Amino acid sequence: MEEIRVHPAWSALRYTFLILLAALFLIPVIFIAFTALKSKPELLTSPFYALPKQFQWGNFAKAWDQGNLSMYMRNTVFICLVKVPLGIIIEALAAYALTRLNFKWSNAMFAFFLVGMMIPMQATLVPLNIFLNKTHLVSTYPGIFLVYVGFGIPFGILILRGFFRTIPKEIDEAALIDGCGDMSKFFRIILPLSIPAIATLVIFDFMATWNEFLLAQIFITKDTMKTITTGLMSFRGEHSTDYTLLNAGVLISIIPTLLVYLLFQKYFVSGLAGSVKG
Amino acid sequence: MANRVLKPWLFIMPALLIYLTVIFFPAIYTFYLSFFSWNGVAPHKDFVGIQNYIDLIMNDSVFLRALKNNLQWTVGSLVFIMGTGLILALMLNKKMKGRVLFRGVFYFPYVLSGIVVALGWAWMYNPTQGFINKVLESLGLDSWTHAWLAEPKTALYAVFVAALWQGVGQPMVLFLAGLQTIPADPYEAAIIDGAKQYQSFWYITLPLLRETFIIVIATTMIASMKVYDIIYGMTGGGPAESTQVLSSWMYYQTFRFANIGSGSAISLFLVLITMIVIIPYVFYTTRKSHL
Repeated sequence: MEEIRVHPAWSALRYTFLILLAALFLIPVIFIAFTALKSKPELLTSPFYALPKQFQWGNFAKAWDQGNLSMYMRNTVFICLVKVPLGIIIEALAAYALTRLNFKWSNAMFAFFLVGMMIPMQATLVPLNIFLNKTHLVSTYPGIFLVYVGFGIPFGILILRGFFRTIPKEIDEAALIDGCGDMSKFFRIILPLSIPAIATLVIFDFMATWNEFLLAQIFITKDTMKTITTGLMSFRGEHSTDYTLLNAGVLISIIPTLLVYLLFQKYFVSGLAGSVKG
Repeated sequence: MANRVLKPWLFIMPALLIYLTVIFFPAIYTFYLSFFSWNGVAPHKDFVGIQNYIDLIMNDSVFLRALKNNLQWTVGSLVFIMGTGLILALMLNKKMKGRVLFRGVFYFPYVLSGIVVALGWAWMYNPTQGFINKVLESLGLDSWTHAWLAEPKTALYAVFVAALWQGVGQPMVLFLAGLQTIPADPYEAAIIDGAKQYQSFWYITLPLLRETFIIVIATTMIASMKVYDIIYGMTGGGPAESTQVLSSWMYYQTFRFANIGSGSAISLFLVLITMIVIIPYVFYTTRKSHL
């Protein structure tokens, strides 16, 4: 498409538009950062566009300690570290059965899992709540992992099955000749070959788990186990008028997401495009 | 032989058991509960048939409001979020300086949680200290200032602007991926034939983006039906229930007012509407892949 000449005036216009829009997009972030770095009296007196006279880094420390953000972050990191690999192993085992074991019910089973994508979480919450209460799993890690892993299963199977199908069958035959059992074939051949798909899934799953709100709101009732999203909501409840602290908290909470995004931007873009297509 | 039959089941078992426990059986039980009047704790559930559904449609003005809000949200998303995403993708689909940076700026809000976006934008809309009113005041437009999130007339639109900020990156990236699959030849041929730029856009780009459009429209509609976090975080459905959507009203009915039957019926409406979108989509994509 580069052969098409673009008129210089048109090009300048495009840049102007993009720069203005990008500036507009960054305003909320800048405004939040300015607020987070001001002292409480300064916030009331200084103009909204003014840089903080003295950067109040202490706001971040205060939000971290007093606002319990350190605890909420730790909880969320822990849930992500267990949920993401656990979910992917379970989904990959199922995808392996669907694509490589001459499973008679393969297509029917796959369709059955896909039905799960049509069911909004809301349609499961009450029975799940009853179930978790009866089994005393509310606000316990086994209960949390069960629910979090469960809602990831349809999407995970969709992605992994799609990728496993692209791995040539000759590899299976070679493995069979080498005397590989299914377990070692799964762990030593199929999983390593699927690293691109798994990487995409890890990132998406991490984001989805980190940002999860509805499930956390209903199934994690104990304050000491809250995640970053529900934690921020109670943080706002407790410091409703202290906007410097609240905005410092908001900024802290997005650092891990932004880091993962910046580090894996490539996977993000290709993964998003690829995953929706299935 | 038995081993060969059993083995796939063994591999699929963990996923299947969890799926049945967390999604499948609960969804069926919700369907069952939607025919009862129940407060969630009483030992007895009163069978009321389809009364919960009738009550929602006939007597619950908030439910109708929520349904209307969801529809408005869907139309707004298709026009503004998808539209902006398409425009940005077209502008960024050329080798140019700063392309990656622009793409990053427009996409990064999409990776944030709805709650973070809600808290940040609630501060932007703060009536006395928020950015928006401050800017209006400094421009001498005091009469334009509003308590954006506290007035029923403005609240839903104010939340939608935050969602727009968060959401345009997703269609943008999908359209960019779609545009990259379009070869250069048809454009070259069009230029030789003397086509104007808007003509090549209309007759080449749009038809070749058909596939991407279907994906974007389906995901946008589904996301619009499920919208919850950002609304709950910014307004909690208020003021005066003016920003309730199906998801939030289901939450309030079930977990705040203990109307399990009504809440279940609302969630079934959600299932129904989602299916209306997804089933044609799945049919379309599977038919495509068999060709």
